[in-house]
Amino acid sequence: MIDDGAEPAAAEAVNAVDRFWESTVNGRSMRLKVPPAKRLLDLVRDDLGLTGTKRSCEIGRCGACMVLVDGAPVNSCLMMAYQCAGRDIVTIEGIADENGGLHPVQRAFLEEGGYQCGYCTPGMIVSVKALLDAVPDPSPEELEEALSGNLCRCTGYGGIIRAVRRAIEEGRENR
Amino acid sequence: MLLNRRNSGDRWRIRPDGPGKVTGGLAYLTDLTAPGMLHGLVLRSPHPHARILSVRTEAARSLPGVAAVLTRRDVPGLNRFGIARQDQPVFCEDRVRYVGDAVAAVAAKTPEIARRALGLIEVAYEPLPIADDPELALRPEAPQLHPDGNVLHSKTFRTGDVGPIFERCARVVEETYVTPRQMHAYMETEGGLFVPGENGGVAVYAPTQHGLMDRLQLARILALPKERIRVVSSPIGGSFGGKDELNVQPYGALLALATGWPVKIHNSRRESVRAGLKRHPMIIRMKTGTDENGRLLAHRVRIIADTGPYATLGAEVLNFATEHAVGAYRFGCVDAESISVFTNNGMSGEFRGFGGNQAIFALEGQMDRLADLLGMDPWEFRRMNLKSPDEPGPFGQPIAKTDGLAVVWTAVKESRLWRERTEGASAAGSSGLRNDKDRLPASEGSGQPQKAEERSPWMKIGIGAAMVMHGAGLGYGIPDPSGGRLALRGDGKIEVAFGFEEFGQGLLATLELMLIERFGFAPGDIRIVIGDSDAVPDSGSSTASRATSMMWRSLGLLQRPFEEKLLRAAAEVCGVPARQLRLGAGGVWGRESGERALSYEALAGRLAEPIVCEASTSYPVSDTDIVGAHYLYAYAAVAVKVEVDGRTGRVRVLDQFHAVAAGPVMNPQGYLGQIEGGSSMALGYALMEEAAMERGKYATNNFDTYLIPTIADLGGSVEVWPIEDLPEGDEHGPRGVGEIGSVGLAPAIAEAVRRAAGVRIDRLPIDPARLQEALPIGGMAVMSDDR
Repeated sequence: MIDDGAEPAAAEAVNAVDRFWESTVNGRSMRLKVPPAKRLLDLVRDDLGLTGTKRSCEIGRCGACMVLVDGAPVNSCLMMAYQCAGRDIVTIEGIADENGGLHPVQRAFLEEGGYQCGYCTPGMIVSVKALLDAVPDPSPEELEEALSGNLCRCTGYGGIIRAVRRAIEEGRENR
Repeated sequence: MLLNRRNSGDRWRIRPDGPGKVTGGLAYLTDLTAPGMLHGLVLRSPHPHARILSVRTEAARSLPGVAAVLTRRDVPGLNRFGIARQDQPVFCEDRVRYVGDAVAAVAAKTPEIARRALGLIEVAYEPLPIADDPELALRPEAPQLHPDGNVLHSKTFRTGDVGPIFERCARVVEETYVTPRQMHAYMETEGGLFVPGENGGVAVYAPTQHGLMDRLQLARILALPKERIRVVSSPIGGSFGGKDELNVQPYGALLALATGWPVKIHNSRRESVRAGLKRHPMIIRMKTGTDENGRLLAHRVRIIADTGPYATLGAEVLNFATEHAVGAYRFGCVDAESISVFTNNGMSGEFRGFGGNQAIFALEGQMDRLADLLGMDPWEFRRMNLKSPDEPGPFGQPIAKTDGLAVVWTAVKESRLWRERTEGASAAGSSGLRNDKDRLPASEGSGQPQKAEERSPWMKIGIGAAMVMHGAGLGYGIPDPSGGRLALRGDGKIEVAFGFEEFGQGLLATLELMLIERFGFAPGDIRIVIGDSDAVPDSGSSTASRATSMMWRSLGLLQRPFEEKLLRAAAEVCGVPARQLRLGAGGVWGRESGERALSYEALAGRLAEPIVCEASTSYPVSDTDIVGAHYLYAYAAVAVKVEVDGRTGRVRVLDQFHAVAAGPVMNPQGYLGQIEGGSSMALGYALMEEAAMERGKYATNNFDTYLIPTIADLGGSVEVWPIEDLPEGDEHGPRGVGEIGSVGLAPAIAEAVRRAAGVRIDRLPIDPARLQEALPIGGMAVMSDDR
């Protein structure tokens, strides 16, 4: 992992592409030559072509670019390559199982209509998955807290709340 | 019956675009890339108003990696755009009139180089005095934005002289309402990919609400025949009116043509805020009087709209606001005058609700104030003054007759929320609706169950309601054509094509469900074609709540000829009379045998050429001569319960009930989503959203300071009650619901807050400081008697 204590003045050095960036993305080992200060958002979208992670506010307020880093939801616009080197990154493309079978959270969003334009949906689903992995049966307050960093302009959140409830119920039945 | 998944049965379907959206697999137009792609950026004015003395691009051009730097000299055709009136420069010539005005554009190998090149373009400006207040901009000494002055448009509607009538009125309310500059805040900012073609043409992959309108506008700018421009315009990450007008398309197309390479542009949020449209801020003065029994005698309206520097649809929005400031009520005499004023503020333009949001906030405010003054129940006061189905529309124009007003009024009257207001919380209990089977089990409501009513003394509860009558279609005087196409293609697919767009509303799902229900097709039989100017007929714009109506009407026209052609062809193949056959899932079926006679694929295989039927129609229009007057309306009534925290002045929406009369529900999931989603926009409008400007510059640039509702703001219950009945003989079918949900909640919240805090709201968003002042924590015991 590249040391983050680089000289601030030496911007060129920080961005020098002289080492490989290595991480696991959606279960696959990745080895790329990218500048250490490259945003994870750009790395995922431009270098890996995983465009399910969306660009929207780029200041960590909307959640459209949410990915999992070691299982925790992270706005990928706020994380640089060096900060997530060597870690386990999961994007929306890695949420379904290997055979393309939808994750229960994805299925719940589909069935309950928890989306409209769909642009916030990947980030929303990533945040819901992170929540339910950590707290399978969240209280309404925990749900609000976990999802208040994911903005949706279309649905008014009604369909999203119904989808999350359904995913919680299914999780309960399958336990 | 409440609209939800359970009550919708099989009609609640997974959207055809759903799997791509939940997996991230769906490529939006801003996700597209192409080999060798360049990155485009636009240089915009730092000044709200300035003279351009010179533009020098040499340094930018000579930066390695820069492929093109374009200015006004590089526009081959018309250096202007605008849907209704082409007055907005593609590149400014001698003046900039707002902070989003474009001066130059760059294409470079990387976004970083493009950004550096922008910084190397030298523009010498001479700042000019600004007009940033629409009222001051009307004075003769104000800086003039255009040769014809600062008035974009004015609208007058007068049925008589209200002056003497006010003298006879027993009660008169006069109020000034101020509404904010609301941002669409679609999650996907403007952008797309622009690919030069081999024939000197260009393919434009960029979101818009009317691909063929973009093609027309781009043809003017590029001086190209329309046929050499292809506009691919769906899917779209939200629009709400905001992507109706051109945004980055002229720059992308010009750069692609100039460089011969594909060019990608994707606005940053900051640039989107700066350049993009907003909802018109309006100052609405109303004076309304009644007799001693509460009958409305006179209504005077004065509207001033801040339209920003250029037209787009500012005139049409003003007409709409004027019409809806008269609205659903029977006034003895109306005198309405409105004016839309050019300023050096940000661009105002088309936005879901289209001027109705501002007007109805003011109008409903008048109704609540008058009822209070008369000592009447505000809902009964409205009923007394609502028009009957036989009466004309707001502008006195003939309108399609429905009972919409009465039925939504009654639904709120009987609602749990309104009973709680009139009878007190205990009387209403938990039974909200007509009978228990219609009640929402807690797990299916969209919000958390309410906590028991044990609240701190500084928490105040109030319930309010509002009526909405909202026009659809473009209105009299604006051509409003539409149409669609059905075909059986060589591969056996039933192909349906419309020139509409999918920006999230669920148009694809609605269309699929219409085809299944009307023709009996299976989902797998159908291929839907939209959002591609090379492949679709002109259906008009996906705007003004018109697309569902126009698809319904077009399919109605297409049904007989298409069925007849298919069945005649099938009859020939099968050697049986066509009357013994019918269309169904997977193919043509024997009426009596109940067996499939022929698959669509087999039928297509026997055809020399595809079977194609086209329909042309247009949106129904009133027999009037008043421009903008509507013929079809949707109706809604909203009741809402809020909690005001006296310590912080914050308002929390606890419970909403929406009754909507808009004809039959074509797609339950889409309908529910439109009302829920629209109302959350109205919640933001009422409580938090304002794209504040200071001296012509945005004080809010992103979602850190421009706040839109989060899931924590929408935790309460939302019930949607569609009323589908239409009068016998009604020919117009479903009225659109794309906009109506975004209108009524704001005035209903204003009244609920008044009940809770005793403060009359005349300005949105509601200022918490005013509520804090009104509810000093020490004064709770006194204040609580107010309820």
